[in-house]
Amino acid sequence: MSSKLSTQTFHHYIGEKARIARAYDYLVLVLALFLFIGSFHLHFALTVGDWDFWVDWKDRQWWPLVTPLIGITFPAAVQAVMWSNFRLPLGATLCVACLSIGTWIARVFAYHYWNFFPINMVMPSTLLPSALVLDVILMMSNSLTITAIFGGSAFALLFYPSNWPIFGMFHLPIEAGNSQLTIADMFGFQYIRTGMPEYLRIIERGTLRTYGQIATPLSAFCSALLCTLMYTLWWHIGHWFATTRYLKKI
Amino acid sequence: MGTITDQIKIMTDQTKMPPWYLKDIYRYLSAFGVLTLIYIGFRIYQGAHGISSGLDSTDPAFEIYWMRLFNFNVTFITLFAGLSWGYLWFSRDKNLDTLEPKEEIRRYLTLTMWISVYTFAVYWAGSYFAEQDNSWHQVAIRDTPFTANHIIEFYFNFPMYIILGGCAWIYARTRLPLYAKGISLPLTLAVVGPFMILVSVGFNEWGHTFWFREEFFAAPIHYGFVIGVWFALGVGGILLQGVTRLIELLDEIEDAA
Amino acid sequence: MTTINNHKLTKMLTQINQSFVKEIQQQEILKSLFFLAIIFLAYMATFQPVMAHGEKNLEPYVRMRTIQWYDVQWSTQKFNVNDEVTLTGKFHVAEDWPISVPKPDASFLNVSTPGPVLIRTERYLNGKPFMNSVALQPGGDYDFKIVLKGRLPGRYHIHPFFNLRDAGQVMGPGAWLDIGGDEADFTNNIQTINGEIVDMETYGLGNGIFWHSFWALLATAWLLWWVRRPLFIARYRMLKAGMEDELITPLDKHIAKAILVGVPVLVFAFYTMTVNQYPKAIPLQASLDQILPLSAKVNAGVVDIETLRAEYRVPERAMKLSLNIKNSSDKPIQLGEFATGGIRFINKAVSIPDHNNTESVIATESLSLDNPTPIQPGEQRTILITAGDGLWESEKLDGLINDADSRIGGLVFFYDSEGERYVSSITSAVIPKFN
Repeated sequence: MSSKLSTQTFHHYIGEKARIARAYDYLVLVLALFLFIGSFHLHFALTVGDWDFWVDWKDRQWWPLVTPLIGITFPAAVQAVMWSNFRLPLGATLCVACLSIGTWIARVFAYHYWNFFPINMVMPSTLLPSALVLDVILMMSNSLTITAIFGGSAFALLFYPSNWPIFGMFHLPIEAGNSQLTIADMFGFQYIRTGMPEYLRIIERGTLRTYGQIATPLSAFCSALLCTLMYTLWWHIGHWFATTRYLKKI
Repeated sequence: MGTITDQIKIMTDQTKMPPWYLKDIYRYLSAFGVLTLIYIGFRIYQGAHGISSGLDSTDPAFEIYWMRLFNFNVTFITLFAGLSWGYLWFSRDKNLDTLEPKEEIRRYLTLTMWISVYTFAVYWAGSYFAEQDNSWHQVAIRDTPFTANHIIEFYFNFPMYIILGGCAWIYARTRLPLYAKGISLPLTLAVVGPFMILVSVGFNEWGHTFWFREEFFAAPIHYGFVIGVWFALGVGGILLQGVTRLIELLDEIEDAA
Repeated sequence: MTTINNHKLTKMLTQINQSFVKEIQQQEILKSLFFLAIIFLAYMATFQPVMAHGEKNLEPYVRMRTIQWYDVQWSTQKFNVNDEVTLTGKFHVAEDWPISVPKPDASFLNVSTPGPVLIRTERYLNGKPFMNSVALQPGGDYDFKIVLKGRLPGRYHIHPFFNLRDAGQVMGPGAWLDIGGDEADFTNNIQTINGEIVDMETYGLGNGIFWHSFWALLATAWLLWWVRRPLFIARYRMLKAGMEDELITPLDKHIAKAILVGVPVLVFAFYTMTVNQYPKAIPLQASLDQILPLSAKVNAGVVDIETLRAEYRVPERAMKLSLNIKNSSDKPIQLGEFATGGIRFINKAVSIPDHNNTESVIATESLSLDNPTPIQPGEQRTILITAGDGLWESEKLDGLINDADSRIGGLVFFYDSEGERYVSSITSAVIPKFN
């Protein structure tokens, strides 16, 4: 009832007021751009960074499990604010695009130009297809539950297949030192890293397999389940941080 | 003749002058420029001296090229914190009760610029130099808490964004009525949380000394940094505080073309 | 009316004059910058390049009682980009492995280069090639060979070293390498099992950039689609006014449906194409190499040695070791060298064939014995050796007395009259003497 009344009396800002509002938009967008490159990238690098830094960490067990799990955090929190208050379905794509910008700059200017690693050895993975789908599921459903279950799952399940066109070719077998290696392993062997010995890699170690030796889908579905929970948790974290309270004292 | 020149002068001045609500836009852009120069300067310095003198902390050249830079950074940061926070405090508005809506709108936009400059510094600290740290650990054997990248990352970049965050906080507290009446929780979270990242340096160095000697970025000794940066999400609350107040203020002023 | 100020010629002259003054000012600024640059360069030129890789700050007991390196040699120390260089050497894994260092169940034989200025092409332990990490046995003897290939020209100080899980990096002796030639000439082609030749420097880079750009383009389009409209203030007001329907238009919904269907379809189509393109792709390989130690090289049973007492004299910077030595060989032997934590203390009275061309830290006249006469076949004798040199301090090994585990370990080298060498390891608690 009240919304109907206000719709009738509503008038859009025009002229100077519209320009002020637009100037504010641009200021906030620039702010958000650097905020999310800085904060989401730091969060990502210090939790699942190693899988993203090195081509010889991109395995079938851990990489598709942990990357979406951490990758969905900031997108969920930012969606919670952008969708609930502004009906802007871009929180996930914005965060992930910012992450991509941050990682590419670091890989090129730090790893390559300062420390001489070939860029193909340190190429980042992409979460952009996952983020686009997460944004549109939220927009279409306007529901936390549906987005958490279907969006969260899609976010995780799309990760490995969207990165395989980039990294599949690094898994061709080669023969070296009387053993079979992937090209990715060979990067780790040849291009010397003083602080990243081979044994530090947290990658798939073979054990008993169910489902006929299939590894990746298991990780992806496990990640899908966890992403559903993680999405919900971070949606609430996003809301919690977006408090508008003023305190008497701190 | 004179009138035409004057008119042209006024016209060019007008095109140069930003509108009243963006009075601080040039200062804002120059802050970006200065910060960019500083950070790119650091990266060029690292490129020039990292491998020649930054690999061994017991080398005399390390003392000259890196520890002097460390001392410079710490001194600069201390002075800059004192000057910027001091300036913002002593130039505070003591008549906030009589603040015009237009002026308040302008100040909200300037506060957004302050926070934006803060997040720009967060970018260099949290993204570029942070990931570069992993890269440098693959080149230099860690034998000191003051590596060629830590000296810049922990002792310039971290304090720098903290100072700028503090500036934004003090600006709001001293120039905007709502922030002066109560302490904004999201603004405080967004400034104090990332400040705790600097404190986490202690945990990191302790961990690397006694617990985890290898350069694995996803290690639990780094989680202090991670939790600190979550608080940057407080910016969502600042945005909502800004939007609601700006709507009130815009409704108070007259429409203009 | 044209005043003199507005006269064209005056204006032109003023402009010329101003630009001339500007130019002079610029020149002056440039001159002073140049002067500053000269001072800075002169200041820089006075410093020597770095000699070490931070190994001095690792606790002495870790350096002395884990990997004990000897006979480390480079095939050449001056070579060009694309040339191969071989690093060989031996090490003994200390029996008295420190309690606070996890056993070397996973360790990695590495080379401390400042980034991949060289690439590692082959690596052998006890003659066996190995690509991954390796388990070592305390008390075991090993020899190693690493083949490296020049990648970036320059002068670098390089050590072999071991990454030990949870312990850090234990350095071997370092050497200066001069890599000449042109960076652009570097090639690194490897062959896949299918016979395809792969250039490691660029492999997959263009493809990766293409896919990243493809998705980035779509994401940018989606972001711009929303950002082009009035955003925060306008949408917040509209939402509060219940105008939700205007915020998401029917066209928005069509586009969203297209993304919802299109993106997953594209992802799985591209995925299937890649799987078909590379059907032979395998998972990352993560085996741990198990390479048995050689038959005993150190403590081989010919010369037995027991450490009775070790004292570190702080003012003299000297380690005094009381050793009970039994010579079971058939020739008289002399103690020629004591090596610990990367320092070699040499007894100049004994002629030592050099097995080592790296610039390891050598104290050439620092080892003295209370009884220098050769130990005869079958003889058992207690001797007091003194390894005294400022290197204890400059290499930060004297920190041992402040360690939580202040025990020393090292290798003692004996030579018989024919030049045959016998190596024994020693270990003992260290007692400091402050006066």
